[in-house]
Amino acid sequence: MRTWLVAEFAGEPELLAAARALRARGHADLDLHSGVPLHGAEEALGLRRSIVPRLALAGGLSGAVAGYLLQWWTVGVDFPINLGNRPPHSPPAFVPITFELGVLVAAGTIFLGLFALWGLPRLHHPVFEVEAFRSATIDGLWLSAGVEAEEADGVAAELERLGARRIERVPEEGEP
Amino acid sequence: MSAAPGTPAVDPLEPTPFLVGRPGDRALTEELVATVLGPTRRGWLLLVAALGAGMAFWLVALGATLFVGIGTWGNNIPVAWGFGITTFVWWIGIGHAGTLISAILLLFQQRWRTSINRFAEAMTLFAVAMAGMYPILHLGRPWLFWWLMPYPSTTRLWPNFKSALPWDVFAISTYATVSFLFWFLGLIPDLATLRDAATTPRRRRIYGLLAFGWRGSARHWRHYRIGYLLLAGLATPLVVSVHTIVSFDFAISLLPGWHTTIFPPYFVAGAIFSGFAMVVTLIVPARRLLGLERVITIRHLDNMNKVILATGLMVSYGYVMEHFMAWYGGDPAEAFAFVNRWTGPYRHLWYLQLFCNVVTPQILWFPRMRRNLVVMFVVSLLVNLGMWLERFMIVVVSLSRDFLPSSWAMFRPTWVDWGLLFGSMATFGVLFLLFLRFLPVIPIAEVKELRREFDHEDRLVAGGPGHRPEGAP
Repeated sequence: MRTWLVAEFAGEPELLAAARALRARGHADLDLHSGVPLHGAEEALGLRRSIVPRLALAGGLSGAVAGYLLQWWTVGVDFPINLGNRPPHSPPAFVPITFELGVLVAAGTIFLGLFALWGLPRLHHPVFEVEAFRSATIDGLWLSAGVEAEEADGVAAELERLGARRIERVPEEGEP
Repeated sequence: MSAAPGTPAVDPLEPTPFLVGRPGDRALTEELVATVLGPTRRGWLLLVAALGAGMAFWLVALGATLFVGIGTWGNNIPVAWGFGITTFVWWIGIGHAGTLISAILLLFQQRWRTSINRFAEAMTLFAVAMAGMYPILHLGRPWLFWWLMPYPSTTRLWPNFKSALPWDVFAISTYATVSFLFWFLGLIPDLATLRDAATTPRRRRIYGLLAFGWRGSARHWRHYRIGYLLLAGLATPLVVSVHTIVSFDFAISLLPGWHTTIFPPYFVAGAIFSGFAMVVTLIVPARRLLGLERVITIRHLDNMNKVILATGLMVSYGYVMEHFMAWYGGDPAEAFAFVNRWTGPYRHLWYLQLFCNVVTPQILWFPRMRRNLVVMFVVSLLVNLGMWLERFMIVVVSLSRDFLPSSWAMFRPTWVDWGLLFGSMATFGVLFLLFLRFLPVIPIAEVKELRREFDHEDRLVAGGPGHRPEGAP
């Protein structure tokens, strides 16, 4: 059974140093929580570059291609009508919708992709069991670590040594 | 001119700060969530009641349009596009300033956008919602609006993608969707802050649901920041494309006064001009009522007035160039369309438009005027009026005098037209008041980040953590 350790720190340097130290000891399931993005958090947690830009590019290109094909097939092939003597397949007239659909699908991919990457929406998370964790979105700096129950005492001691102001334990099942 | 080493330098070019004082994260949060979590003010209720009455008028006019048809409007042949399309273009244009502030200024790293971007984005959303209503009502049978979408129907017909009107459908719906996603993505961390700052279980539950379980995780922030920037990057060309496509509705037709290549840039400049005016119209009273003078300073307003002045000059250039091309092009019908503006039956509106859009903004050359709340409020109202008149001149006046004198006719708005125009303003106002009351008006997380940046600079300048000795404006 796993246990979550949720620890509050007084300052950003201490928080980032603690994350680095725990990661050096082989704890991978670490996270930091703050009201603003912290400089250096990616490096401290050893995160790689976000894949969101690649998702956006794929979404934008597929939206634009689909938009162009839609117009080409509907008014160019399936039911061509001579309007203003423009040819059935009129690339210049197809530019606006091709662009708009590219943007629409790219934006939708970014938005839905973010939620998929976050694992949200999620109604509950063990860190929310800690009442004081409310400060994470206001001014608090928190570290959370998912560890095996038998390791918890050792990691808690380590966190205390690293300068945590307060350490709370939450069992995985959610019973406080 | 420059300060001696070690002296905390106050940049003479930056006399007023973007953030007064350097409050801590908790103090900032408490100040910024107070508009949502604090008690309901009587002034707010009174305003909602007053605008609610206007909204009722709007609903009546809407009902008349739906039950009787657009015969209740003043539209006729040749003026088939009356108030409906005029007001549609006006609202869409207003929306553009919101995207400009939130997306384009973000990419240019303009710090003054931070405090006002949420405000401006909400304005965009509500303006686009109002705008979208008109083309749909104008269809005549609005309940069949989905015929605009390409779907395999039994008639085997498709929308004509070589016409500008289906382009419009895609442009407006994409714009509305992307604006909403951008706005909501920005709101998520602040909704979580509201969830955690709220004291009653009901508010915790509602804001908790809206925050989708955001827990300020560094793993989430990493994707969030790049996703937010990319959405801004997408919104930037989008906003330019939307008003360009709206202007194509006119420009690719053959009607004198419409058929001109200057329309796309001229429409985009006009959109930003009117939109910034609307932001000033809304923000001057709102910052006072909500007590946001610390985060929305006179310097923000000053900058917005500079944008109004600059885009006002672009719009004036558009007027000059339209006339020049009408003369230089040598087409008698086109030349007449412009003579008609100066001497025709609608000339008084044209003079008023010139006064509002060309003369009025010139007062903003003076720094003292740009910083005077009363002056800027009056200017912004006149610009809003002027830009509505501009669209009226383009839509109605051009149509009322086309190629064939025997088909000329005047446009006279009915009470339903007025109801839909003023009612849409009231409805917009009600939506905006609800936003002011129930959502964080100032992006809390972004202002905290901005404060960190300022702290960092203060340390660089003063060699230690210091507060710049600047008072309130």
